[in-house]
Amino acid sequence: MRLSPQAQLQLRRFRSLKRGYGSFLILVFLSVLALLAELLVSNRALLVRYQGHFFLPTYGAIHPGRDFGSDYAYEVDYRELKDRFAAEHAGNWVLMPLVPYGPNENCYAGQNFQPRPPDAAHGHYLGTDQINRDILARLLYGFRNSLLFSAGFVVMVYAIGIAIGCAMGYFGGWFDLGMQRIVEIWSLLPFLLVVIIVRAALPAGTSFGLGLLLFVVVAFAWTGMTYFMRSATYREKSRDYVAAAQVLGAGPVRVLFHHILPNILSILVTFLPFTTAAAIGSLTALDYLGFGLPPPMPSWGELLREGTGNLDAPWIVASAFCALSFILILITFIGEAIREAFDPKKFTLYR
Amino acid sequence: MSSPAPILEVRDLKTHFPVRGGIWLRSVATCKAVDGVSFQLLPGETLGLVGESGCGKSTLGKSIVRLLAPTAGSIRFEGVDLATLGRKKLKPIRRHLQMIFQDPAESLNARHTVGQILEEPFIIHGIGSAEERRASIDTLLDKVGLPRAAAHRYPFEFSGGQRQRIGIARALALQPRLIICDEPVSALDVSIQSQVLNLLLDLQREFHLSYLFITHNLAVVKHVSDRIAVMYLGRIVELSDAEDLYARPRHPYTRALIAAIPEPEPRATRPRFIGTGDLPSPINPPPGCPFHPRCPHATDLCRREPPPLRETSSAAEPSHAVACHYDLLPAAIPSPLGAPQKQESRDT
Repeated sequence: MRLSPQAQLQLRRFRSLKRGYGSFLILVFLSVLALLAELLVSNRALLVRYQGHFFLPTYGAIHPGRDFGSDYAYEVDYRELKDRFAAEHAGNWVLMPLVPYGPNENCYAGQNFQPRPPDAAHGHYLGTDQINRDILARLLYGFRNSLLFSAGFVVMVYAIGIAIGCAMGYFGGWFDLGMQRIVEIWSLLPFLLVVIIVRAALPAGTSFGLGLLLFVVVAFAWTGMTYFMRSATYREKSRDYVAAAQVLGAGPVRVLFHHILPNILSILVTFLPFTTAAAIGSLTALDYLGFGLPPPMPSWGELLREGTGNLDAPWIVASAFCALSFILILITFIGEAIREAFDPKKFTLYR
Repeated sequence: MSSPAPILEVRDLKTHFPVRGGIWLRSVATCKAVDGVSFQLLPGETLGLVGESGCGKSTLGKSIVRLLAPTAGSIRFEGVDLATLGRKKLKPIRRHLQMIFQDPAESLNARHTVGQILEEPFIIHGIGSAEERRASIDTLLDKVGLPRAAAHRYPFEFSGGQRQRIGIARALALQPRLIICDEPVSALDVSIQSQVLNLLLDLQREFHLSYLFITHNLAVVKHVSDRIAVMYLGRIVELSDAEDLYARPRHPYTRALIAAIPEPEPRATRPRFIGTGDLPSPINPPPGCPFHPRCPHATDLCRREPPPLRETSSAAEPSHAVACHYDLLPAAIPSPLGAPQKQESRDT
């Protein structure tokens, strides 16, 4: 597919905005890191050589300790295995990831629980939390959860917002009027209260996983999108190119998808970063309040809560806070640059 | 006239818009944009439709192609009444009834290439294979005098006149028999206007098209039309042969319009008619003749009774209908309309 010249121009303009484009590259880089988190931060080895065979445990099945000559049936402790192989000098070796700790792993089982400060020698670059889980690991995996959550959030909010907003704008009349009232009433429902009620109504033992959480949050977040789509559709519908298509015999589906949607695409793209930021923000807030992801799942809100509860271990709250602020600032810079790239008034300057 | 069957016969067409107000959006008034219009259009004929802004001429055009739903009356296109047909039944008829819009920058989707724009009519009606459609696009571009390479470019890469040619090519794609031209040259430079008008006339000859030519430009309409209808406040006030309308205008409004045509000769003196006031609102039209508040000849009868559109010429002459109570033949008028001192002069 060839980009239209207008889109090419906008892309060029976006790339010329150094701050936004740089933020975009950083965010893409961090997202790739997060998606490949197992290769960088994990308690599973990248590569094991044992008795002439190579093993790739990262994405594979669990290897019980017996597979590598240990005497236990639960999963191998690769860090311990590495030390043992190194001591044996039998040609066996283990290649561990950069940070050899998992996000849910209690790194010092059996010892008294207290947060440990950053300690590069042991590979805890950002320290541990109060039950001795590595904070860097939790940050990275938490970031991945946020990304997955916001991707799902954006897709669902856009799908619902576009469908309902465009239908309101295109068909107008009583449908528009009725939907507007429904949207207004719906958007006035107190979101947090509903989340608490939904949690309470769930049968005991049901976990409030990523999917269900996403569903509940989206159910209250789609309304904002309809306002913009509705007015944009109204505006585009009254233009002559739509009339020309109708005179040719085009039906509503064709007019909406071939004519109106491509012309309001810029609104969708402009809102994309802000919707993403909203998704990350609401997931973090819910986790902070304890209504988000179920406990063992790594999340930034949970880290923040733990950090503010343990201010004598400032590295916890500092890591979570810095990571969250950094990502949200990146997204805001990207959003600003996109908005500016799509702005027909070319010479906007912020001084 | 021993005429063939008309291609388009509009009878007593009314397109009203409700004006809504209050919290329940009840209809509080009606905007009578088109209020009882009747005319016929013969195959191969051009009917000019003139009138000032807001007189309902575009609404009439849009009602005929059913972009708007008429309130009452009938639109017989080749014998089929379009006024009440649904979208699905209209679709096959739309092939023969097309429209050219005023501003080509607006009527061409900026996100599509010219090729996509010209291909769309064939896709919508499921005509031809991809290969045949491409050939048709080339033929269309040839017909309107654009290079074939234009198909791969976007509308904004063209000048106004070229864009209007694209709009014309799109209207021609399905080989229509009637084209509604809604101010097709008003958005163009004067130097380009004549080129586009001549293109329209050439195409008319080649394909035996009928045009309903909507414009506010009397010089343009004289150039292209066989007959001319003058609209005022949703009604036709005069309908006649083009030559006859300019030579012997019978309605005071038509006279005002003709007097307002700019002269290429600056020193030429011509009787001036300066109409007073603005177009009344079609929401609350004046009783009686809609033109009476601005008419220098208005009488009590005009304020009371709306005049019907009546035939004024004898059977031997071409038809010349006018909606005026009086026979204001040129000879019968003392001085050419509007001694300016009697009226509020607007040009000071």
